Amino acid sequence: MAGSPFGTRRTRRWIPWASIAIPGIGWLLFGLYPSLATIGYSFTQYSGLPGTPLNFCGLCNYTAAFTALSAQVWESLKVTLIYVVGVTVLQNLVGLGLALLLNRPGRSYTFYRALIFMPQIFSVAVVATMFALILDPVTGPAEQAWQAVFDSTTAFLGDSSLALPLVMLVNIWMFAGYTMLIYIAGLRNVPKPVYEAAALDGAGRWRSFLHVTWPLLAPATTVNIFLTAMGALGEYALILVMTGGNFGTKTLGLYMFDSAFGGTSQLGYGSMLAMLQFALTVVIGGTLLFTLRRREIQL
Amino acid sequence: MRATGRNLLCFAIAAVLFAAPLVYMLLQSFKTFTGFLQDPTGLPDPWTLENFGEAWTQGDFGRQMLNSLVYAVIPDTVTLVLGVFLAFPVSRGYFKRSNAVYAFFVFSGFLPGGLIPLFIEAQALGLYNSMPGYLILTSLSGAGFFFFVGYVKGIPKEIDEAAALEGCGYVRFIFTIIIPQMKPALATFAIFGFVHAWNNLILPLVMLSDQQLWPVTRGLYSFFGEHTQNWPLIAAGTFIVAAPILLLFVTLQRYLVEGVAGGAAFGTQGVAVPAERGEAR
Repeated sequence: MAGSPFGTRRTRRWIPWASIAIPGIGWLLFGLYPSLATIGYSFTQYSGLPGTPLNFCGLCNYTAAFTALSAQVWESLKVTLIYVVGVTVLQNLVGLGLALLLNRPGRSYTFYRALIFMPQIFSVAVVATMFALILDPVTGPAEQAWQAVFDSTTAFLGDSSLALPLVMLVNIWMFAGYTMLIYIAGLRNVPKPVYEAAALDGAGRWRSFLHVTWPLLAPATTVNIFLTAMGALGEYALILVMTGGNFGTKTLGLYMFDSAFGGTSQLGYGSMLAMLQFALTVVIGGTLLFTLRRREIQL
Repeated sequence: MRATGRNLLCFAIAAVLFAAPLVYMLLQSFKTFTGFLQDPTGLPDPWTLENFGEAWTQGDFGRQMLNSLVYAVIPDTVTLVLGVFLAFPVSRGYFKRSNAVYAFFVFSGFLPGGLIPLFIEAQALGLYNSMPGYLILTSLSGAGFFFFVGYVKGIPKEIDEAAALEGCGYVRFIFTIIIPQMKPALATFAIFGFVHAWNNLILPLVMLSDQQLWPVTRGLYSFFGEHTQNWPLIAAGTFIVAAPILLLFVTLQRYLVEGVAGGAAFGTQGVAVPAERGEAR
């Protein structure tokens, strides 16, 4: 405890150390170790059942991912990328739109903002069940609306062309409020005189948005795009409850979960998929941070 | 006149897009099953409260509600206290290489998801499918620590020295001086931590196979699977599970919403909420 005013009396020195050691050991055991062990398990074949051996097999899972099982892996990569790009772009557009619309003083606007924020405090189990009720292909109101508009029927979450977009929309519905709040915080940081100066120069609403608001929102945009992309990449609980990964919705995260806990108990193969997910996170996260930060400087 | 137009538009968006699904589900839960089949999307006719009682007993939500409460309150409290105990010396630089420790913690957040090894570890340590085991896993994972480091920095260091001169012990100092100073940060984290723990689905799905140990989210997931098409019953069950969180939100929405907006403004964003999104990766 170098320099600490609390470690001087020899008899009491262990107390500060223990106060660091207990959470530290907990974190090592249940935070850091599982994370790092994923690397090790990705080189094994292991079912996790008691009494079964843990076979070290080198790159077997990685080789399988690019040979025998490559079709599934590429499919899940494709689904993941569509999910991440779609959710990130749409959720930011929706969040920004809502922020511009709702960044007003007054009690009614506070109430609206709270309502829009509300969905994300519910469990994915609740949200998914709620939308399963609404999207039920026989008794749901969405089906009635669909019939009225297209004069045909659809299976919604049971339709391979609709399931993924629908899950994405529910994801956006759940978290758009958070994106909106960060944009609102960004909007509040834009100094009023800048708008007044722009208005004096004859800038209309659109031009003042394009040349004043948008550049000055750059930090909020960076945070939002990064967070939504990372969130969408890590999300699979919602997809699991809504479609179980069927009908073209099996993202890499869900593929990982499914191969480990979905009945097949392929913990080694699942660990390899977790490593792929990690690689994807590093590539997407790194690229986003690099480009978004550079954009902030240029603006 | 234009302001009212905007207000109406905002009302329409908030009410129709964001509140209506919940209201719609609540309405369904008041229908009898035959009433639902006759008119699936209309208003309940006749109205009934039976679904709530039936869902409560059939889904065993009473027991699960208690389980959820235990799984949310205990880890939340432990995480808060341990988080402060770790954040205080790290933030003050009271031991060698505090900065390296902090950097290492931050860096470790970007490592691969460890759900599968955690499952294997839990089995090996006898923590699998047990309430104490689940509590140990969720209490000691080190969450909440970053959130506090920056906040402790804002508390003047002179207080430490004064307290040490007065002969105040380390533990007493943290409980009587530091924790009261951090009340706003602790409150925000406590709420988000509670909501996160209550809502967690993946970890109970992986770690708890015994139905008696399930939290409500896990229970609802199965309840949903067992009662396909009996939507009034499922809707009632879902609403029972959502009600405590809804109540919490109605009471605390000001702090929840401002907590995010304030956090975003001070650059601490992304600490509380993304943890909720990814669940246990």
